[in-house]
Amino acid sequence: MTVRDRHRAMLPGRPAAGLAVLSRNRPFLTLLIVAAVWLVASATSRGFGSWGHLRYLVELAAVIGIVGAGQTLVMIGGGIDLSVGAILTVTAVGLPLLSSGADPSGIVAILGILGLASLIGAVNGAGVVYLRVHPMIMTLATATFLQGALILLAGGSAVTVHNPAVYLLGNARPLGVPAGVVLWAVVALATVAVLRWSRFGARVYALGANPLATALSGVNVPATSVALYAASGLAAGLAGILALGMNGQGYVGIGDPYVLTSIAAVVLGGTSILGGLGGYAGTVPGAVLLVTISGLITVVNASPGWRSILFGSLILVLLLVSGREVPRR
Amino acid sequence: MAPPILEAREVWKGFFGNPVLKGVSIALEPGRVHALLGENGAGKSTLINILSGALSPDAGSLQLDGRAVSLTPAAARRHGIAVVQQELSLTTHLSIAENIGLGAYPLRFGLVDYRALARSADELCRSVGLDEDVARPVGELSLGRRQLVEIAKALFRKPRVLILDEPTSSLSAHETRTLIGLVTALKRAGTAVLYISHRLAEVTEICDHVTVLKDGACTADRPLAGVDAAGLVRLMVGRDPGDLFPRWDACPAAQPAVSVRGFSAGRTMEVDLDIHPGEVLGVGGLVGQGQEDLLLGLYGAIPASAASAVFAGRPGLPGGVTRANARGVAYIPADRKREGVHLTHSIADNLLLPGLARGAGWRRRARGAEARLAATLAGRLSVKGDLDRPVQALSGGNQQKVALARWMPLDPGILLLNDPTRGVDIETKREIYAMLRGFAAEGRAILLASSDTPELVHLCDRVAVMRDGRIVAILERRDISEERIVALAMAADGVGRAA
Repeated sequence: MTVRDRHRAMLPGRPAAGLAVLSRNRPFLTLLIVAAVWLVASATSRGFGSWGHLRYLVELAAVIGIVGAGQTLVMIGGGIDLSVGAILTVTAVGLPLLSSGADPSGIVAILGILGLASLIGAVNGAGVVYLRVHPMIMTLATATFLQGALILLAGGSAVTVHNPAVYLLGNARPLGVPAGVVLWAVVALATVAVLRWSRFGARVYALGANPLATALSGVNVPATSVALYAASGLAAGLAGILALGMNGQGYVGIGDPYVLTSIAAVVLGGTSILGGLGGYAGTVPGAVLLVTISGLITVVNASPGWRSILFGSLILVLLLVSGREVPRR
Repeated sequence: MAPPILEAREVWKGFFGNPVLKGVSIALEPGRVHALLGENGAGKSTLINILSGALSPDAGSLQLDGRAVSLTPAAARRHGIAVVQQELSLTTHLSIAENIGLGAYPLRFGLVDYRALARSADELCRSVGLDEDVARPVGELSLGRRQLVEIAKALFRKPRVLILDEPTSSLSAHETRTLIGLVTALKRAGTAVLYISHRLAEVTEICDHVTVLKDGACTADRPLAGVDAAGLVRLMVGRDPGDLFPRWDACPAAQPAVSVRGFSAGRTMEVDLDIHPGEVLGVGGLVGQGQEDLLLGLYGAIPASAASAVFAGRPGLPGGVTRANARGVAYIPADRKREGVHLTHSIADNLLLPGLARGAGWRRRARGAEARLAATLAGRLSVKGDLDRPVQALSGGNQQKVALARWMPLDPGILLLNDPTRGVDIETKREIYAMLRGFAAEGRAILLASSDTPELVHLCDRVAVMRDGRIVAILERRDISEERIVALAMAADGVGRAA
């Protein structure tokens, strides 16, 4: 290889630069980090690398991943949804209350509660668009409202679910794969399809990058925003049903951890917190990474208080390392 | 004659290789009111910024009291140079007194002496004709009153050189009288005043000397006595169009594509307008006379009302961007970075967005057809290279071509363009002009708002001139000239309302 060829190889866009392209691909990088953490953890911690444990991690990650699907959509659209935790709790606590004898399969109750979750999301979107409330304030207010309503309705005690469909979702393992992971895969495919292959997806990216130019391009911005937050509500509702199935019980506070983790998973996956750039392909390894870290902290055998402190600090460190925004012009 | 306090000698300044000032000299003498005139983009603001230290010249020198200096804004303030900008620099939640004294509060025992501040602020307010309690927050005041606070603020430091950039643009007739009295008093006290205004009646009344800029060069530097308004207009206009503009034959249809009566939107009031298929209707006037609101209102992007309206053969205003698009109306904004394109997105995505904005959201994107469409559009526009590059990698001219081309797949019958050649290089301008005449020849109706007068003269079938939100005249092709447009825009035609 001559000197000149070597110079050529360093230029971007050359075939030789394929690895360089991959190294700038955020979803791929996040996946690499997950693989590295798993390898190191399996080598040092007994039982971590077992099939059962890894399957369990992915099953746990499914809840974050499904909430993160809605969060990814909202954040690409330039917003943020802080009410996902509360909506998740509403479904997990509300579904047992909805169950009745006239609905032996439990499907009707599920559809009803998912409708409610989407409606709450749509209210978020309407507040952001029509009342011009900042997304953070709007969704935080919704979350606070819902928490109050839940305490009045459920009275603070855990409710046990007797819904066969929910039980199946939380416990069935067709072909050895947990049903929750199957649900996650379906949600993931749908999210990627919406973002990459639908007109709606194109509008979401445009909205996040420049809302004014998007409106002047003829995009119906109010309808797009309401649909976005409704989708996030629906995703949080699905995650709530899954969490309820895995837990057997719903209680006030079940959704609390998912606000920070869903946002962290999205940002770790390379979606811009400023909107307009990113995708769901990164959120998936982001969710797995968060669950893995959480699991490793449990192994450390610290008290619950310290575990929380450690988890919060680690999320911050991870975001500092990987989630730095390049300043835009 | 007293020696000048502040003087610029043979000053040159360019931005991105584009010369804005080409060897301009100006001398501000004590006790003289000096007028600075010129069309939009003639270089007035750049010259003011150099005189106040906000910009430094590429070549040439600044002289202060006969000595060469290089100014910074802070040094300029220290030397007694005060500027009242068109864009107000007031802090809205502070009081009038605090704004006036900002940065130079009187102290007493090391603390701010608010009583002394209020006293001197009150005095200044009365001298500029502002009868307000100086404790009122500036945010509660009207635009005109804020302008007076801004002037009082400049006077607080007892300037030797006072630069007033369009000080009367938002003032009432009464406030303008007070201001003119004040400027006359300052002149007697020996202040050097530089007065920039588009209102020629005012200029001829209070100014002693005039400098006229045209395309960044001085076309006049002389005493004002004996020059009439028409003479000043002649000095400002008249650029050689060269071969920048295409030749064309008028081919307007009889039936208008857009017809509005009594149309109001934002600053635009009671406008009657017909735009015919096949014609380019220009909208001229000074910057900010309601041209943008006229376009945005017609596009449905801001609330609008009309006594009667017909768009593309259907009655009524579209009342929304999506509905306007459905009727074949497209809009190309002036501020393309903010309103026109998505900078971080690829050229292809930008080109495809208006098409993707239509139809049901769940409809599947045909990626293959999209790629072919983007390639066709880029080819027609001679935008070269990889269409996956972000738009921000393109030059301003190419960005504008993207902003224009992305509407073509919708085949719009009505094009609303807001200053489409602002900040665009000359070669792209030529291409855009040819495209616009081409669109007209295809039978589209084109409304072109422009701050570039030659563009209106050489590209338009008719030109509507706006002033204070109203159309003051619509010139037919045979009557269009730079002199007529500028005279109408500046109310120097004798028919304009008194300032």
